[in-house]
Amino acid sequence: MTRLPRIACIALWVAALAMPMACSHQPYLSEDEMQGRALFEDHCAPCHQGAHPDLRKQPPKLEGLFQSKSLPSGAPATDAQVRKTIIEGRGTMPAFDQRLSGEDVDDLVKYLHTLK
Amino acid sequence: MNHFLEEELVIGSKLKVALAMVIVLMSGLAVTGCKNQNKPDNLQRQALEKHENKRYNLRGQVVAKNVAANQITVNHDDIPGFMAAMTMPYKVKDPATLQEVKPGDKIAAEVVVVNDGSDYWLEDVRITESSGRKSAGAVPAVHRLNVGERVPSLPLVNQDGRTIHLDDFKGKAVLVTFIYTRCPLPNFCPRLSSQFAKIHDDLAKTPDDYRKTHLLTITFDPKYDTAPVLRKYALAYLDDDPSGFGYWDFAFTTPGGLRKLADAFGLMYFEQDNQISHTMNIALIAPDGTVAKYWSQEWTTSELEDALRRQAGTAAAAAPARASRGRTP
Repeated sequence: MTRLPRIACIALWVAALAMPMACSHQPYLSEDEMQGRALFEDHCAPCHQGAHPDLRKQPPKLEGLFQSKSLPSGAPATDAQVRKTIIEGRGTMPAFDQRLSGEDVDDLVKYLHTLK
Repeated sequence: MNHFLEEELVIGSKLKVALAMVIVLMSGLAVTGCKNQNKPDNLQRQALEKHENKRYNLRGQVVAKNVAANQITVNHDDIPGFMAAMTMPYKVKDPATLQEVKPGDKIAAEVVVVNDGSDYWLEDVRITESSGRKSAGAVPAVHRLNVGERVPSLPLVNQDGRTIHLDDFKGKAVLVTFIYTRCPLPNFCPRLSSQFAKIHDDLAKTPDDYRKTHLLTITFDPKYDTAPVLRKYALAYLDDDPSGFGYWDFAFTTPGGLRKLADAFGLMYFEQDNQISHTMNIALIAPDGTVAKYWSQEWTTSELEDALRRQAGTAAAAAPARASRGRTP
């Protein structure tokens, strides 16, 4: 029975580790990702969040964009493809050509990676 | 099995049970503790989101007011979290505001948006810089064609690079609107094009109305929206079927021509930071080439479609429409 306190301590340690993990909701964002989030809220969220019943095609949600192998369009889920889509547009999605700088697009892509 | 070993196993088993209980208990505490910590916040937030309107600060300049509609049109700065800088009409909560503000006045106000986004208006409108006579005079006056007046037949270039004129559609009822392809706001150009696409789809199911009607979308952004850009944009709304171009044109014109057309249809627009601020307007052109109706505040797709079909019904059955000739898919 002398081993019980030690094992209990290990269990407490495991639980203590689990607690912050269970409670963490937002991942830490770097400065670039924070910038990307601001751009996302201004330029992407108006279409990609919320419902827009009047639109011809419902813009896809972007959570988990980079978690699968392909984008909602079927194209590969790569940084290059996402950059191309942002700049040139795709289908009914407007092009952001000349409205976002290269650095803006980089930040946006970095932030999109954090959306799980 | 000797007694010592048996006792060791029993103790080991008890330890495992104890360990499992502690882990389950602590994990439960971790999750419960986490939930308890966040639950009031979540409930409070949900309650707020459900029952309270959202409020945003607006700063801008009044470009027009419409007392009958209880609205002012404001060229405003970015409204973070709600809307990019643009010119658009807003209802005002307090009708007395309309007596106080004048076009040209700079204002600060609160935009109140109902939680589901279905309605919005201005409250607490304060004039931060009165226009005075000088500024008011600087606001360009727009003369919109009256209903019954003939529309100008300026040259336009369509998605195929071909020159067209509004006169080409004489004999047909035409619905005209203005957009630009890079518009990122779902309630503006994308909504207009989506509504036109729905009308186009519906008309295609009734050949008689289909051939007596036409849709025309003109861009505010002739520098960027060239024929190939318009064609690509248009095909996204035509499900990649170019046969729709026989009944729906997307066109650009010169900056000067655009200004004349926009004035004729009562539209205001200007470019700022590669984004175009504009008001919205849809005009219905009768088969005789005159303005039949405008929508600039609120409309539904079915309202537009019904009016277009009714107007098409006034066309003489035998009236040929030049635009329908020689336009193969």
